[in-house]
Amino acid sequence: MNDVVLIFLPLVASLFVYLFYQSSGGAKYSVLIFFGYLLYHTISLYAMLPDTGYLELGCYLEVESFDFTLTLAVDKLSVIMLILTSILLILVTLSSWTVSKAPSAYFALLLFFSGAIFGVFMSTNLLWFFIFWELTLVPMYFLVGIWGAEGRIYAAVKFFLYTHVASMLILLAFFLLYKQSGHFDMTLIKEAMLTTPALVWWLLFVGFAVKMPLFPFHTWLPDAHVQAPAPVSALLAGVLLKMGAYAMIRMVILMLPEQAQHYAWILLVLGLVSLLYAGVMALYETHLKKMVAYSSISHMGLVAIAMATLTYEGLSAALFEMIGHAFIISPLFLIAGFIHHQTHSWQMGEMGGIMQKAPYISALFIIAGLGALGMPATMGFVGEIAILISSIDRFGLWIAVIVIGSMLAASYMIWSFRRVIYGEMSPLIARSSFDISSVEFFSLILFAFLIVLLGLFPQLIFVSINEAFEVYLKMGVLR
Amino acid sequence: MSAILLLVLPFVGAILSFLAGKREKAYAFYVAQAVGIMLFGLTLFLFVTYTNPIDISIKWFTFGSFSLPFGIYIDHLSLVMLLIATGLGALDIHFSHDYMKGEKDQSRYYAKILFFIGGMILLVSAKELLGLFVGWEFMGLASYLLISFWHQNKAPADAGVYAFLYTKFGDIFLFAAVGILFYATGTLDLQQLNHLAKSGEISDSITFVAALFIFIAAIGKSGQFPLFPWLMRAMEGPTTVSALIHGATMVNSGIYIVARLFDFYIASETLIIVATVASLSAFIGATSALVQTEIKKVLAYSTMSHLSLAFIGLGAGSLAAGMGHLTNHAVFKALLFLSAGAVIMATHHTKDLFKLGGLGGKLRLVALMMAIGGLSLSGIPPLSGFYSKDAVIASVLINPQTYGVISTLTVIAGVLSIAYILRVWILIFAGKPKEDAIYQKTTAPSIFWIILPLSIMAILTIVLACYQEELAVYITNEAYHEPHIPYLPIYLLGMIAFLGWGVYRLYYKRVDLKEKLVAQPLFKSIHGVLLNGYYIESMIGWFVKNFILEAVAKAIAWFDYAVIDASINAFVPIARFFFRGVGATHSNKPSNQAGVMMLGLFLLLAMILIGSLV
Repeated sequence: MNDVVLIFLPLVASLFVYLFYQSSGGAKYSVLIFFGYLLYHTISLYAMLPDTGYLELGCYLEVESFDFTLTLAVDKLSVIMLILTSILLILVTLSSWTVSKAPSAYFALLLFFSGAIFGVFMSTNLLWFFIFWELTLVPMYFLVGIWGAEGRIYAAVKFFLYTHVASMLILLAFFLLYKQSGHFDMTLIKEAMLTTPALVWWLLFVGFAVKMPLFPFHTWLPDAHVQAPAPVSALLAGVLLKMGAYAMIRMVILMLPEQAQHYAWILLVLGLVSLLYAGVMALYETHLKKMVAYSSISHMGLVAIAMATLTYEGLSAALFEMIGHAFIISPLFLIAGFIHHQTHSWQMGEMGGIMQKAPYISALFIIAGLGALGMPATMGFVGEIAILISSIDRFGLWIAVIVIGSMLAASYMIWSFRRVIYGEMSPLIARSSFDISSVEFFSLILFAFLIVLLGLFPQLIFVSINEAFEVYLKMGVLR
Repeated sequence: MSAILLLVLPFVGAILSFLAGKREKAYAFYVAQAVGIMLFGLTLFLFVTYTNPIDISIKWFTFGSFSLPFGIYIDHLSLVMLLIATGLGALDIHFSHDYMKGEKDQSRYYAKILFFIGGMILLVSAKELLGLFVGWEFMGLASYLLISFWHQNKAPADAGVYAFLYTKFGDIFLFAAVGILFYATGTLDLQQLNHLAKSGEISDSITFVAALFIFIAAIGKSGQFPLFPWLMRAMEGPTTVSALIHGATMVNSGIYIVARLFDFYIASETLIIVATVASLSAFIGATSALVQTEIKKVLAYSTMSHLSLAFIGLGAGSLAAGMGHLTNHAVFKALLFLSAGAVIMATHHTKDLFKLGGLGGKLRLVALMMAIGGLSLSGIPPLSGFYSKDAVIASVLINPQTYGVISTLTVIAGVLSIAYILRVWILIFAGKPKEDAIYQKTTAPSIFWIILPLSIMAILTIVLACYQEELAVYITNEAYHEPHIPYLPIYLLGMIAFLGWGVYRLYYKRVDLKEKLVAQPLFKSIHGVLLNGYYIESMIGWFVKNFILEAVAKAIAWFDYAVIDASINAFVPIARFFFRGVGATHSNKPSNQAGVMMLGLFLLLAMILIGSLV
């Protein structure tokens, strides 16, 4: 299938999926099949990449006087993101298997989302990048606003407005870049630009920092996560945040390397603050899903620290941690959402003893939680040690303070195991049932499998991750 | 090849045991037993066929230009630890057959035990600090899961949290040390680190910091001051787990890591810190063990105190003394713990010492086994404990750096162990039964499942005593002359007579005298301090609660809500205010429209005015 079709087909087809499957429940099957195809397609894209690591997929909609050409191209970095996204879309679809409220609309929105997110990762024209970037907000807004929990409207509006304002900064930066270089195309900008004004870097940095999110732009995330239905939380954490981190790497670091050298300390400081600040917040939180949400912010802080090194090692570590974070935080959100769905409570103080009722779900929660606290044999450990080593290498010994982040992670995770899973059975848990549909259970198993598999054999993906950044090392962008 | 099998087998066994146990409860034991014996057999095979250190290099992963290895290195020191871990592991699994008979989650239990043994094997056969850290964390996890084995009860669930977090506090320092050493030397190979430190190729400050960090991790894992309270809480787990993990194997790993990096430690000049912390722990452990009311808590404090003795041996500069005491301690402490387990099982889970008594007649064999273990712990010749305790104390006295406060505390701790173990033995086996109901339902344990492993350990305690010199030479790889204190047995016998008389009076003959003594205000407060482990746990708890949770976390939470989020939300009223004002200008009231028109006119005129002036 042509790649441009891959983007626009789901955007258009989502309407038909919605209309066609309104009465029957078949939407999920066709969406799942399409996502399966996406995975196949992205993997074959990976195989097709030439040695240079850059593959142009075509130019569309060329306009004479204005740089509005939809140029699609991929390199290793974006293909890795595409594969990650496809896997997560499949897993999220599986874990939404039993959505009962308007399933056809729900899956149509997922389909729409997939088209937009593929556009983000594929287009090199900044205008189109921006269009797709904004398009991802639309399905997310509805998914949170319609299928969410009690405070969903507030959360959806806050999420939409907050990230939208951030997007305006990004758009402004894009126009400034156009004014300087006369191009909207990333590769052309990189060639044409000799010096960039610091303002552009700052605008882009803040715009993407909101999405990642970094302190102090993080407050939309706990609200959005808490109110979103569990699979959408997983999608937010696994794909949407990664979109921010990807853009941070792609534009703030690789497209504007000189400014990045100059201002990397900002990224380092905010990353460090996010790591510790969100870690303490997670420790303090009694709300199960908020605890997971702050844990997610804390880990993105770690990613930011790794990015701030601007070294080959650091960025490889950052990308690995991003992937690990997607596979670790998503099941935590899914299980937290499942517990809420069964008990109608968010308070960890009211829970306890779930292990006695649902041992397997509890075990999966523990596996994912151990991943979050950096237990060896999970992806969390590999990411952490890689980040520790690469950041000490770049910043010196003092950066070893990031191990305090692991202590915080261990504290809030183990303490939440104690409150939610272990201990005497609380009355709330005793009267709730924990029957999970086999498809949703299967998706959790797949998450756990990936966490452990890639934690034991990280080389499986480090091969491609290293290649993705090796190109930039040779170009002199990275150290 | 067999080394790799040794590393992989326990984890495969854990999975198999779990699956088998799900099919039929009893199968879990048989699988675990078979795997345990196979592991011991493999270790024995390695021991017998040993010629040169087994050295296998495996690359784990590469990120950027950094490559992290995961190698295997088995030498004499590792083999000693492997023999302890797999041998005692196999005996412990055997003992578990009866001890865990009534449990419904046996598959989970045996899987975790095998996972633990796997972690221990990984730790001691790691070539690099990274692999060692992986094993270290695996054991921490297994320990957490096994302490919380009865997760449906409050106390074990809490105890697991304590165990994990106290040890994790140490672990983050080890984690940092991994990063620091990789940065400073570009290698994590333990042998190379020793070599580099010895030849002075690493700067002094880095060696010092790294050694200190690693020792903090060892403090956490081996239950030394001030990170020991978790070890006492860990006694909430099954006694078989306490015997294996919190008596004989995992808690040794802190000593092992110092022994493994011994040249590094000598170069870093931190051994005196090791000895100081350990002597303090030895004293705290030994004195607290004197007054505990739970049988397992006495043993836990005694474990702490005896691990300290091993640390002191290392700290005084004697690798052989430290490792020798570790080896002997592992065997006799496992023996003591499992004997205690046999008592607890026979009395239907009575752990309170003051409810037992007079069981000597009913549990004759257990009493004998515990006596052998206790005598060894007290350091009575000719049992193994005597030789290594002697060596530790002698090495402390020889070294001028440790002569003084450290040696005094060491001797006190060494001597007090006679008193507390005698007290335990008297309270359990001598005298008259204190609670008749418990006494009545006490039944002698099975010979094959319970007494057999105990007697193997007892025999081992006696046999080991004959091979102390050989063990020391084996570990240090050099001719070794064990320092001896002249006439020590005579001093010891005097001490035993004195302390024995004291304990006998207080706990057997004149119980009323003890009660009176405890009622005195001074003795009462001392008793409270000792019973609560010098209130270290309360102090740490107070600090964490009042400083971290109540102060820092609350402040940050307030800041997050009232400053950051509020400033975002403040945009809503600001925008509303602003747009309400602007909106008013576009209403259809003629007066408003006229007003706006006038305002616009004035603005225009003002601009022209300013423009003409400038």
